[in-house]
This record gives sequence, structure tokens and C-alpha cells, in this order.
Amino acid sequence: MQRFAFLGRFARNRGALVGAVVILVVAFVAVTAPFFFPRDPLRIVGQPELWPGEDPDFLLGTDSLGRDILAMIVHGARATLLIGLFASAVATLIGVTIGAIAGYFGGWTDEIAMRSAELFQTIPNLIFVLTIVVILGSTLTNIVIAIGIVSWTPIARMTRAEFLSLRDREFVQACRSMGMGNAGIIVGEILPNALPPVIVLSSLVVAGAILFESAVSFLGLGDPNVASWGRLVGDGRQLIRSSWYICAIPGVAIMITVLCLNLIGDGLNDALNPKLRDR
Amino acid sequence: MTGAGSSRRMAALKLLRRRLIQAVPLMLGVVVINFVLIHLAPGSFLELMTAENQVSDPATIALLRKTYGLEDPTWLQLLKYIWALLHFDFGFSYRQNMPVIDAILLNLPATILLMVSSIALALAVGVAAGVVASMKVRTFWDTIVSVAAMFFFAAPSFWLGIMMIVLFAVKLGWLPVGGMATIGGTGGSIAGGAGGILDILHHLILPTLALGLFYAAIYTRVMRSSMLEVAQLDFVRTARAKGLSRNQVTVHHVLRNALLPVVTILGVQMGTVLAGSVVIESVFSWPGVGSLLFDSVSSRNYPVVLGIMVLGSLVVITANIAVDLVYMWLDPRIEIR
Repeated sequence: MQRFAFLGRFARNRGALVGAVVILVVAFVAVTAPFFFPRDPLRIVGQPELWPGEDPDFLLGTDSLGRDILAMIVHGARATLLIGLFASAVATLIGVTIGAIAGYFGGWTDEIAMRSAELFQTIPNLIFVLTIVVILGSTLTNIVIAIGIVSWTPIARMTRAEFLSLRDREFVQACRSMGMGNAGIIVGEILPNALPPVIVLSSLVVAGAILFESAVSFLGLGDPNVASWGRLVGDGRQLIRSSWYICAIPGVAIMITVLCLNLIGDGLNDALNPKLRDR
Repeated sequence: MTGAGSSRRMAALKLLRRRLIQAVPLMLGVVVINFVLIHLAPGSFLELMTAENQVSDPATIALLRKTYGLEDPTWLQLLKYIWALLHFDFGFSYRQNMPVIDAILLNLPATILLMVSSIALALAVGVAAGVVASMKVRTFWDTIVSVAAMFFFAAPSFWLGIMMIVLFAVKLGWLPVGGMATIGGTGGSIAGGAGGILDILHHLILPTLALGLFYAAIYTRVMRSSMLEVAQLDFVRTARAKGLSRNQVTVHHVLRNALLPVVTILGVQMGTVLAGSVVIESVFSWPGVGSLLFDSVSSRNYPVVLGIMVLGSLVVITANIAVDLVYMWLDPRIEIR
């Protein structure tokens, strides 16, 4: 019943509902990309620089080499969404681990954890990502890990705050008096209670990760085998005088996706904290 | 009054001292992390450097290895690097053929100019829009502001920059496509006089908008909810009960307190703004640290990359301390502490 009440509150937020529907459509398109566009999206199919609508075979036109932009956008959705999800997962894993340990144990453990969070906020994040990617190689895995490494700090702070407020509650004390170990209490008792706000933050980190990845790919440092949306914007950059749509279309795709993820995050936030809904 | 003033000044000095002490381990951490990261790189930058300059003589290479201290174990290299940093020696950049610090300082002013103008724009737009939205809450204006903020919060800055180039530079021809000064013009530097400064400002408009509007969107959202929150506090009701008008209360009581969360976020995001300028500099061929970084990263010129990281973090820490002091100046409760 509680779950339905939660869904009801989420659905009442119209923006969040629209966001969720759009993201589901994007995810569906990403999953079914090989079905609608079974051939390599990076192969040349027609005349170069056809404007959208100029040729009914290529709804969104073709780029400077004569590649179908729609096919590249659809396949790019796969790369972009996957990178966003995995990078957020990496950030959540690091952030929850560090935040939980810091909040639960307190003392110097907490001090070290929070100082390192400060450290990672000091280092200019995107510059750090670019350096990691250049040094370790432009592969999908490295990009995902690099984005995760610069995105964990807000999650760690949030998890820490939740653990601080939960660690001395009666149910935790009861577990302790029954002789339960620290690991058991952290993972089995406190974590499930601390997770809801952390999940909201993770959904926002997905949006941030997509923006990060698009910037890395735009600068030409992305995985050369993957046509993510950021790379498509970068590829079209030379032609803005004659064919600016080549740049514009993938950028719109990024913007809509990030916008909808943010809407979902806001909706989850409202649904979890009904008191704050009117702000 | 003087008593309260001097106690505030004491508190500010205390804060400054604490922040400076905390900055030392922070800087050390930055250096160690980046140094270790760069040493994870397969092969040394020396290989690229010698390949680029077509040096193949083994004796020369051995001499270079010795000069750059690559024979030493990593920990000793790290200690030597930190020691050199303490003397403001960031190493030598073979590509620019000058000390790393000179290469960075040559590019730093352009980046700082872009950062400062973007932050100023973000604060001005964000605070104004947030105040309007909160005073006209749940009206047409509130909706317009919130929708605009949502869009600018989601648009990638580099893409926004390109789209603005298409509109304002290519189609309308109002503003330059990129660069910092008109090529062949009299300007291009402060030496160009008033005309030169105007020329730079003319080139600054689009990059500032591209970088600043994203942050303006964030500040708008924070400012709006913060204004609404502060407006419900007791002291605001007291001020209204004293007979002050709604506008007076908003300006003198609510605004100042509502600014605090915006200032906090500004401090946290300093590193992000610096990093964001890297991308924007690439879009607009802005001759700042970002362009230098991009060139150095692509050519694996690691001493420069490391130097930019260290100096960039130093800029961030300094800006953070400044933000802390501003926060203290704004927060009326600080005297009680």
C-alpha cells in the first residue's frame, strides 16, 4: 500500500510523469536500435549534408559524410544512456561505501573521508576526467570510471548524513545488543533505511554523467568506436556555417534526456519528502 | 557598534587562519593524487618528447632521463616535485620552450576573466530571476522563470555556445565567432587602450553566456526556494508587524539571508566553473588555460597538465576562502558564535 501511495505522489507531479514517459521512450529506442537500424549507423548511406525533411529516407538529414543522422541518434542513445547509468552506479558505489563508513564510525575515519571528499571537490572535475581518460586510454570503461570518480562526493555526504542520524536509533542499538557485527548493521539494518534519498541523488548523477560524457566526447577524447551524442555535436562543429542542424540535433537529444532525468529526480524528491512539495 | 565590528573582524581573521591551515593538506593531496595518476601513464612523456623532436641518440636520451629525474624511484620524484613546487618551480615545458609556470601564467588571465564574468552573470541573473519568481510565486512569471531555468540547467554548455555562435555570429553577425581580440585590430590587449578593452569585452559576451547561464539556472532555483523559506521565518513576520512594506522587508531582511545558500553553492562549484571554462575555451578559441590544457593533454605534455591541476586547485581553494569570508560578512548570526 505504501508503495502505491509513493507512486501516486510521484504521478501527481506532472513534470516528473512527462519526464518518466520520455525517458522510457528513449530507453525503448536505445534497446531496439538494432531492430530499426540493423546496419552500422556510421556507414555512408546517401548524399552528404541533406537537411532534415529534404529526403524522406533520412528524416533528420545526413551529416558531412552522408551518414543517416537519425540512425546515429538512435544508436547514440544506447551509448549515452549506458554511460550515464554505469557512471552513476560507480559514483553511487563509491559514495555510499565512503559515506556509510564515515557516518557509522565517525571520529578520524569520518575526518579522513570528508577531507578526501573536499579534495575531490577542489580538483577541477572535468579536467581530472580528461586527464584520466588521456592517461589510461579512451575506452568506455575508463570514461565511466573517471566520471564516477569525480561524481561520488554529494552521494557520500548524503549517505553520511543519513547514517549519522540513524546510527543511534533504538533498532540499531537493539541489533548491537544482540551481538550483531558492524558490517551486518551497516549493510543489513541502516543502509536500507538510508537509501531512498540517496537514490534520488543517483538519478540526478545520471543526468550529470551524461553531460560529462558529452563534453569528453565533444572534445574528441571519447571512445573512438562509440558514436555518443556528444561526439556527434563535435563532428558537426566544422560545418556550422552551412549545416548547423548537424550540431543542433544531437544537442537537443542530450538536452531533452538530461531535462527529463532532472524532472524525474525532482519528482522522486517530492514524493519522498511530501512536506517540501510546495516549494 | 565598534565592539561588534571588531569582534566580527576577529572572527574573520580566525576563519581565515583555519582555512589557510586546512588548505595545506588539501594542496598536498591534490599534488599527490595527480602526480600518481600521471605516473600511471604507460611510457614516459620523454618518449613522446624525443619522438616529436626526432632525438634518437641514446646518450642524449640517457642525459635527458637524468635531467628530468626519471631514473629515481617514484616517491623520490614526488618529493623532489613537491620541493620544487615550494619554490614555485613547476618544471619545464619543451613545447612552449619556457618554464611551465610561465606558460600557465600567460594563459591564466584570460581564463580568470572568463570565470569571473560568467560567475558575475550567473549571480546577477540567478538572484534577480529567483527573487522575481519567489515574489510572484505560482504566477505566469514564476512559471516562465522555472521553465527557462530547467532548460538552461539541462543544455550542454558547449552546445549552447555553438548554437549562439550560429545565431549571433553567423546569421546575425552581431558578435565575433571566437577568439579574444579582432585579428589585425589595434586592440587585443590592455595596451590597445579603451578600444582594446571594448574589443575584448565584445569577444567575451558569448563565452560568458555559454558558461554562465548553466550556473544562473542553478542559482535561480536555489534562490527561489531559499527566498520562500526565509520569508516564512519569524523575524520576517516581526519586520512586517513593525509596519515595513513588503518590498522593504524583501530587500532588507529576506534577500540577505536568502543569499546564504547561493553563496555556499558558489563556493562548492568553483572547481566546476574552472573545468567548464576548458570546454567553452575550446568552442570559442579563447586563449586561456583550457586551450593550453587541451594542447598539453593531446601531446601528453604532462608537466604542464600537472601544473594546471595544481595551480587550478590553488585558484579554487583561494576562491573558496574568499567565498567563506563573503558568507561570514552576509550572515548576521556570525557574531553570536
